[in-house]
Amino acid sequence: MGLIEMSASPIVQTVNLSKTYGAVHCVNKVDLLVQEGEIYGFLGPNGAGKTTTLKMLLGLMKPTEGTIRMFGQNLSKHRSAILKRTGSLIESPSYYGHLTGLENMKIMQRLRDVPDANVNEALRIVRLENHKNKKAEQYSLGMKQRLGIAMALVAFPKLLILDEPTNGLDPAGIGEIRELIKSLPSRYGMTILLSSHLLSEIEQIATTVGIISEGKLTYQGSMEKLKISSRTAICLKTGDNSKAERFLLTQGFSPLGSGDRLEFDLVDDVVVAEMNRMLVEHGIPVIRIEEQKKSLEDFFLERTGKGRSL
Amino acid sequence: MTTLLGLEFFKIRRKSIGTMMLLVLFVEMMWAFMSISRSIARNPDHAGWETVLYSISSMNGLFMPIITAIVVSRICDMEHKGSTWKMLVATDVSRSRLYAAKFICANALLLGVTVVQVVLMIFFGLVKELPGGPPVEWLLRFAGGTLLTTLAVTALQQWISLAVHNQAFALCLGMLGGFIGMTAGLFPAAARRLLIWSYYMDLSPVAYRYAESSGDYFVQPAAFGLAAAAVAIAVLLYNAGRFHVTRQEI
Repeated sequence: MGLIEMSASPIVQTVNLSKTYGAVHCVNKVDLLVQEGEIYGFLGPNGAGKTTTLKMLLGLMKPTEGTIRMFGQNLSKHRSAILKRTGSLIESPSYYGHLTGLENMKIMQRLRDVPDANVNEALRIVRLENHKNKKAEQYSLGMKQRLGIAMALVAFPKLLILDEPTNGLDPAGIGEIRELIKSLPSRYGMTILLSSHLLSEIEQIATTVGIISEGKLTYQGSMEKLKISSRTAICLKTGDNSKAERFLLTQGFSPLGSGDRLEFDLVDDVVVAEMNRMLVEHGIPVIRIEEQKKSLEDFFLERTGKGRSL
Repeated sequence: MTTLLGLEFFKIRRKSIGTMMLLVLFVEMMWAFMSISRSIARNPDHAGWETVLYSISSMNGLFMPIITAIVVSRICDMEHKGSTWKMLVATDVSRSRLYAAKFICANALLLGVTVVQVVLMIFFGLVKELPGGPPVEWLLRFAGGTLLTTLAVTALQQWISLAVHNQAFALCLGMLGGFIGMTAGLFPAAARRLLIWSYYMDLSPVAYRYAESSGDYFVQPAAFGLAAAAVAIAVLLYNAGRFHVTRQEI
């Protein structure tokens, strides 16, 4: 596991965090490390243990084993102080359907003891100010999700924990929420811990990634490192792949893999064009040239060691 | 705690709890007053405050468990429907305090029902020109007995309403309680002590004594032992419910 370097004051740090039900390990010795100002993408397939982990961070579930430190304090001893600085949206958005959006916000305002300005600002951020007097049960799923985020934001917490915030949203809604989340650390100095089973989502939002599979944290590191470790390959499909491979070897091109397509670790357009010219001149027809980028999904599947659907 | 209690009253807006309470109360009082009027018409000896107090107490055995089930269910169900338990707990709301706020809110509303009952009883008695002025002591004992019994019934209903998401279960329990409360007089005394719904009649200041084909109303002495038992059951059910609900994983 590629662990990121420890800094002086991680916002979230878990050690050996575990949750078991009988013989089933929902979360198994997870060492999570979230630094201040990060957007930490907590990635894993459904049932991997993401929500259980986040629930333990919020004191909604008791860990079977391990410790949780947030803002440098032990959660079990300083739960109240920690939760005062944490906003959250876990699983589906929580709201009182018979109350308006504004009334829901007022409830959070009184619980958090914050001024009216915070309510207005949070509603403005999620662009619900024009729908605040509508009952929450009449909101679309996207609006409910935005209301949930606004309720989590009302105290402008230092840490925002969002569990699958784009679940059930249409592409436009996903884009909107994504941009909103990306803007929070710079605008309000927040640290975001975000879970998702959508690799593309995490890839576009997160600055640091933790991959969890079957309760175990299989990777943790910066998104930059992850992107470097994913590579770009050029795939060639020719009229005779075996002949093409033999010929290209003589020309100094060594394929990474062969079969239906010949795969080369190349990115330079000029070299690709040269290779194409040589093959054609040698009487080997080139049927297709494609650039194949190894995605985060491929990396994830490598990490979890299986090709299962996310 | 004040904030949580205030929020409970804030959250029940548009839940039509007041309308529901008034509707059931209206049915109960209409039924009771028509029955008392007919009884007085048939037997002028029954034209007394005892008849009113006994009738309403026995009717409460049927209606109060149902009203309580409705009120408590409405107060608790909104947390299930909107998955708001996790939001509240993650906002550092103490589950025990939230449980207490709901209990106080429900009982405050149900106390309102009892007060309205007392006012209507006085109004009915004055309209019917029942002998003597309104019996303040009996009315206070009636209100006190109803309140104590309601505390215990509320504790049980709140436990069920919060522990079981499907509110049909809690409402069925309310109806079962109403049936037991209505037929409480048929149970042996020892069995009645265990059935909290029977306390509406047992803590009433007036009882009915059967004598062959007829009977008469009589004022029973204040049953402090029964009142203490009602409080003990309320405390037991409240704490058992709180212990169970606050330890459930969200």
